[in-house]
Amino acid sequence: MFPAPMEVLSRLNRMRCTIRLLKGPERRQGLCSASGSAARPAVVRLSVQDATALWERQFRQSGVSEPSLSSQYIMAHVLGAKTMANLGPDVLTKTLTDIQTHQFWKLCAKRLTRMPVQYVIEEWDFRDLTLKMRPPVFIPRPETEGVALEPSPSACSMPYLRAVAVDRSAEAVRLTQENANRLGLQDRIEIHQLDVTVDAEVILRECSRVSALISNPPYLFSKDMTSLEPEIIRFEDPAALDGGKDGMLIIRQILALAPQLLTHNGLLYLEVDPRHPPMIQQCVQEERIAGLHYLQTRYDITDRPRFCVLQRRGTED
Amino acid sequence: MQRYLVVAALLGEDSWVVPALQITEPWRSTCMCSMSYLVFSAARRVAQGAGCTGRHWLSPGSAGWPHVQSAGKKDSLKLPALNEEELEEQFVRGSGPGGQATNKTSNCVVLKHIPSGIVVKCHQTRSVEMNRKRAREILQEKLDVFSKGEESEVIKKRKEAEWRKQEKRRRAKENLEKKKLF
Repeated sequence: MFPAPMEVLSRLNRMRCTIRLLKGPERRQGLCSASGSAARPAVVRLSVQDATALWERQFRQSGVSEPSLSSQYIMAHVLGAKTMANLGPDVLTKTLTDIQTHQFWKLCAKRLTRMPVQYVIEEWDFRDLTLKMRPPVFIPRPETEGVALEPSPSACSMPYLRAVAVDRSAEAVRLTQENANRLGLQDRIEIHQLDVTVDAEVILRECSRVSALISNPPYLFSKDMTSLEPEIIRFEDPAALDGGKDGMLIIRQILALAPQLLTHNGLLYLEVDPRHPPMIQQCVQEERIAGLHYLQTRYDITDRPRFCVLQRRGTED
Repeated sequence: MQRYLVVAALLGEDSWVVPALQITEPWRSTCMCSMSYLVFSAARRVAQGAGCTGRHWLSPGSAGWPHVQSAGKKDSLKLPALNEEELEEQFVRGSGPGGQATNKTSNCVVLKHIPSGIVVKCHQTRSVEMNRKRAREILQEKLDVFSKGEESEVIKKRKEAEWRKQEKRRRAKENLEKKKLF
């Protein structure tokens, strides 16, 4: 039972109205109108605007991050759109149906537990793609959209691209396959459940060389894991985030494997923590990883140095 | 590499008089913008497309003119390209390292065109890159209206659509009147 519906219901009760909720267990006892049992109790419905504002207030009071946006994204989803902006201003005064009210309440209750919006509505957009989201599979961050731009466009926009994807999480592999199927990309992408730190030999054996290696590996410093928001701590797979003491555990492994995985002049793109670029440069220079050259550090849209571009330069494959 | 500073003088007509001045680096310091001129740095594209020096006469429809077509739009307007150098972009930037360490759904893009002062805010999609793209499209349209006024393609299209709608209403009304007579 959640405070917000109780608040609404008791307020409505004071106005001598009833609200009839669809499911049995959620029916409130003692909140019937006094007008008698013969008449069917009137159902009070809220406008889109009022319902959105109500839950925004509830989120804010409960310390939920992005209270306004959360409420709006969930409402848009209930109304069948991606954003409230898509629906136009006229929708605000429209009255929610029973089903919509119920759905909105159910989803907002989940958000109240700090479940990320992307998991609440079970989808999110990445550039021009809509992808299914499911805990605990890592949610793509908006800054990552920038690295996908050039010169490694998404598989959707370049039909001749073939991709091989690896992840140690079975759930991630399963969800990726689901999304690939939904987008009709199943013939262009192979997805394997492999751990780059443990299954290196298998990867080298199974995968032929690629012209681009793109990775957003777990790169957080272990000590930073405890200060993460509840959205992340409670719902996202820590294995997708924790990069060890200096966040370089998986990065180092990828650097070591890159020369054997890349074609001549092939490129390696790594999304990392802002502290990593100099560390990676040092790593590449010190260990003189055969044929791997550090090309450049790229900044994300928030101007943080977060993408490292390296190149394999060798004389032969 | 030679750069072309393209100064477009507004004639209030469909065609633009575009004298192309061939100048060398640094060219940005000589770039000026006033109310009566729209200055485009069409450097790379004009240089590659036209490949000539001296005076050019370019119209929006000609092959060398750089434009951005909105993908997926049926009858996209050929508007002059935006110069990224003249734009200031802002996103909501949280504290901390960002990236994997945060989960934020805010992806509103605020795009400012410095010379004209026009600001566009876009949160139409759930993707920051799509919002960036959309913000630029909206800014292009606003700039076109701003610079060309009544002659802007955007305004013309809007008026045309409105006229068509009114014509439809008028005809429907006429038909209704005719039917009443019988």
